[in-house]
Amino acid sequence: MKAICDRTALVESLNLVAGVVVARTPKPVLTCVKLTAEGSLLTLAATDLEVYLRVNTPRIEISEEGGALILADKLSQIVRESVDPTLTLESEGDATHIRGQDSHFKVFGYPLGEFPAPPEFDGNADFEVSAGSLTQQVLQTVFASARENSRYAMNGVLVEREGNKLNLVATDGHRLAVSRGDCKAAKGDSRTAIIPTKALTLLSRLLNDPDQTVKVKIADNQAMFVTDNAMLSTKLVEGNFPPYKDVIPRDNDKKATLDTQVLTSAVRRAALLTNEESKGVRFAFKDQSLNLSSRAPEMGEAQIEVPMPKYQGDAVEIGFNPAYVLDALKVVDANEVQIDLKAPNKPGILRTGNHFVYVVMPVNLQ
Amino acid sequence: MPIRVLPTLLVNQIAAGEVIERPASVVKELVDNSLDAGAGRIDVTVEDGGRQLIRVSDDGSGIPEEELSLALEPHATSKLRHPDELASIGTMGFRGEALASIASVSRLRLTSRATVDGAVRESGASIESAGGETGLVTPTACSPGSVVEVRELFFNTPARRKFLRAGPTEVGHISDVLQRIAIAHPHVAFSLSHNGRVTFEFAPTDSPRLRCVDVLGKEVDEALLEFESRQPWGGVWGLAGLPSIGRATAKFQYLCINGRPIRDRNLAHAIREAYRGLLAPDLQPVVVVFIRVDPHAVDVNVHPAKTEVRLREPGQLHGLVLSAIRQRLLGSDLTPSVALNGKSWRPPVGAEDPSAPAPAPVTAHDFVEYFKRMDPTQKGFVYQQVREQMNDAPLLERVGDGQPGNGFSGPPAPVTAAVTNQVLQVHQSYVVTQDDEGLVIIDQHALHERVMFEQLRKRILSEGKPLESQRLLVPEVLHLNPARMALLDDLAALLERIGIEVSVIGPGAVGVQAFPTFLFDRHVEPGEFIEGLLDKAQEGAFDVKQAANDESALHEVLDMMACKAAVKAGDKLSGEELSALLTQREEVERSASCPHGRPTTIRLTLRDLEKHFKRS
Ligand SMILES: Nc1ncnc2c1ncn2[C@@H]1O[C@H](COP(=O)(O)OP(=O)(O)OP(=O)(O)O)[C@@H](O)[C@H]1O
Ligand SMILES: [Mg+2]
Repeated sequence: MKAICDRTALVESLNLVAGVVVARTPKPVLTCVKLTAEGSLLTLAATDLEVYLRVNTPRIEISEEGGALILADKLSQIVRESVDPTLTLESEGDATHIRGQDSHFKVFGYPLGEFPAPPEFDGNADFEVSAGSLTQQVLQTVFASARENSRYAMNGVLVEREGNKLNLVATDGHRLAVSRGDCKAAKGDSRTAIIPTKALTLLSRLLNDPDQTVKVKIADNQAMFVTDNAMLSTKLVEGNFPPYKDVIPRDNDKKATLDTQVLTSAVRRAALLTNEESKGVRFAFKDQSLNLSSRAPEMGEAQIEVPMPKYQGDAVEIGFNPAYVLDALKVVDANEVQIDLKAPNKPGILRTGNHFVYVVMPVNLQ
Repeated sequence: MPIRVLPTLLVNQIAAGEVIERPASVVKELVDNSLDAGAGRIDVTVEDGGRQLIRVSDDGSGIPEEELSLALEPHATSKLRHPDELASIGTMGFRGEALASIASVSRLRLTSRATVDGAVRESGASIESAGGETGLVTPTACSPGSVVEVRELFFNTPARRKFLRAGPTEVGHISDVLQRIAIAHPHVAFSLSHNGRVTFEFAPTDSPRLRCVDVLGKEVDEALLEFESRQPWGGVWGLAGLPSIGRATAKFQYLCINGRPIRDRNLAHAIREAYRGLLAPDLQPVVVVFIRVDPHAVDVNVHPAKTEVRLREPGQLHGLVLSAIRQRLLGSDLTPSVALNGKSWRPPVGAEDPSAPAPAPVTAHDFVEYFKRMDPTQKGFVYQQVREQMNDAPLLERVGDGQPGNGFSGPPAPVTAAVTNQVLQVHQSYVVTQDDEGLVIIDQHALHERVMFEQLRKRILSEGKPLESQRLLVPEVLHLNPARMALLDDLAALLERIGIEVSVIGPGAVGVQAFPTFLFDRHVEPGEFIEGLLDKAQEGAFDVKQAANDESALHEVLDMMACKAAVKAGDKLSGEELSALLTQREEVERSASCPHGRPTTIRLTLRDLEKHFKRS
């Protein structure tokens, strides 16, 4: 293999695959990135055996096809520290030479054959989705997934395709985020799969061009996302996702509409006077205004008024963990949000129309 | 067998069976008599653990020659005349039974020279008895006071004699009995000799504290906190030992009511409660409690050996003892100082009980030992780590103008009295800092546990609010057997107080609907926590039926919460977390020990450090 690469482009590609590379592992090949020069493409690939990621690095010139396995962090360091506009990568046995104007590195690697084989993509996608919309859906859900959880499969995001509708759902048992969108070119039956949070986060980083099309294929135990210049495949999370539709209340009859920015600022300020044991903020909905109050024993208390011109229903007071509310407000893509409530001990809904629906369980304040 | 009236000797022997259990009981009865006779000095001599000889001599008022034979008669006493007096006994004895009982099971000789109406009799007299067969009174030369010699105890009741233990054990008991009496009567001089050797000797003193220190040993003097609570009807005075001198047995608890050493389960409970959470569960505090009450308020006529009494108002005394000790402890710095020479307190002479378990190791001591045993490379490694931390911890501010980048070499920083914010975490388990007395070493888990415990307790008790809880989207389901289901039902009210909401959702299944927010934050799983709580309840860690309003059940549960939520040994703490922990240490009560009673903090005083570095 021999290729001349644009250094900046290479840095970007390496940053993407670095998210997959395992730092410490008894299997040293997993700390490597695999370089493949084929035709006019140079691809970088990494895997942690759960996720396999391959990206094409742009602006290259191949003079000799082939491949190399090289320690990911060494290659990244060398490429990042170099000053040349271009670098030449050349393999020699298991080693790789990296040449700049005034530099020459020879880095020992591993035999190419030891790297796990990439999953096959036959070109037949189950459906296609625009990168912009998928990224938005991922953004609106991943934050609500559980970091680690033994009950249910909550450390992933449920991807549910029904016809040309695509729903992403995540929950950690305290709140649940649903983001609804569209897909196209859907084939076959409806399907659900639970995608590890880590894979989706990596995926959203790959999709820097919102107009790109992402081809998605979901097989028995893995999902594959393919764009023109990258491929990410991941194992699915096994287990059952909580029955999320049952959890979304339908009879929340107290409805408020609030300015997203104003509410965000108010909740952030109310959260200032909370502490470890008293982290709830009291949301008092009444007539034309929402009153937020918080109290941290021995520290003090806060009161914030938020105008709420379009309130329907009886007055209600309910406690929420402000962090949960803010998490949702951060990913809302509308100027106004709707909040639907029932009772102080019943789930609340924060939504923007029906595209983003966020169910959040209250905190018992007393 | 036809019914017959028992002969007197047999009656006395049966009575002796109740009163005289072993040589120590003889000593107690005889010393009681000496105290009743107003003695200023009481000497006890024993041979072969009291099997051969027990001699008690005093300088009290003595017995006039003409009453000498009466003294050995059963039911003969000079201390009670009228039935009404039984209700307000001010003397140790009152039944007129002890001497007769002892005489019936030994060879006894009573020698006395009386003082009557302020005049000392010209001469003394003595009387002898062998197994209750009393001889004649014979004139005997002796000094004012009385001497009672008891030889060959149980010689005529071989069954009992067989049960006597080896000399040292019996002497142990004698010594304990005599020390208890000595603590109750500081004005009286006492001595004990065994086989010709003086075991101890206590000089008379006006200070009850001095006498206690004589008995307990002067090493513990500094570790005894004096407490007092005066009441219109009397009051409580005493000494509370610091948790650092806690012992493996409750032997070093001295309880006296109106000068009478007693045992009392109710008051022992008060003492234990006062130390709750300050002392490791396998340790017992060293405590002296003197109670003064109106004699009418105690009935001493309930126990054959008079070691137990009945109180008219046990609840009131319980509360008084508990609050007096607890307040004293809460108001004190309980941080144990570790002596670098590693000496920890030993029980006083003659008090060794061979059957008692070995004293629990002193944690602080072990810690220091651990450092001392480290080999030089290890020590160097620790030093280096410490140094690195000092260099890159932004929080560090050196006292004085020290050398840049090096906290150890360079001139010694001036010792300031101020608590500075120099903190370092050692082995991600201990936090080391200084205060005005020296070096303070903190067990991060133990201290954080205490801090969380107190914060939770405060919220529940003083604010009267359940803990804040997060409701769950989908209840977490627990499958329980019928016994545990029932247990959970009994615990419902307690759970509600701590912010856990559980409801039955099917046969053998319950769902957790809400769980405290702060436990979620600290990654404590609801199911695991509740199962653990049920385990504790099944082990009998607290009274389930009383769980709703019993403080000890709440204590257990909060303790469990605090323990699970606290930082663990091995957790790296940021500078902010470290200083927060130290601030909280100043703020919460009982910060010197974790809720299980183990110390959170030990201190190496400057004095000890100087000694160790041979700078003094
Ligand atoms: N050391 C002593 N000095 C003066 N008097 C004594 C002494 N020992 C005994 N006595 C007299 O002998 C009496 C009998 O003593 P004894 O111990 O048998 O009975 P008690 O002390 O009156 O009651 P108890 O059985 O409760 O001890 C006492 O009442 C007391 O008058
Ligand atoms: Mg007596």
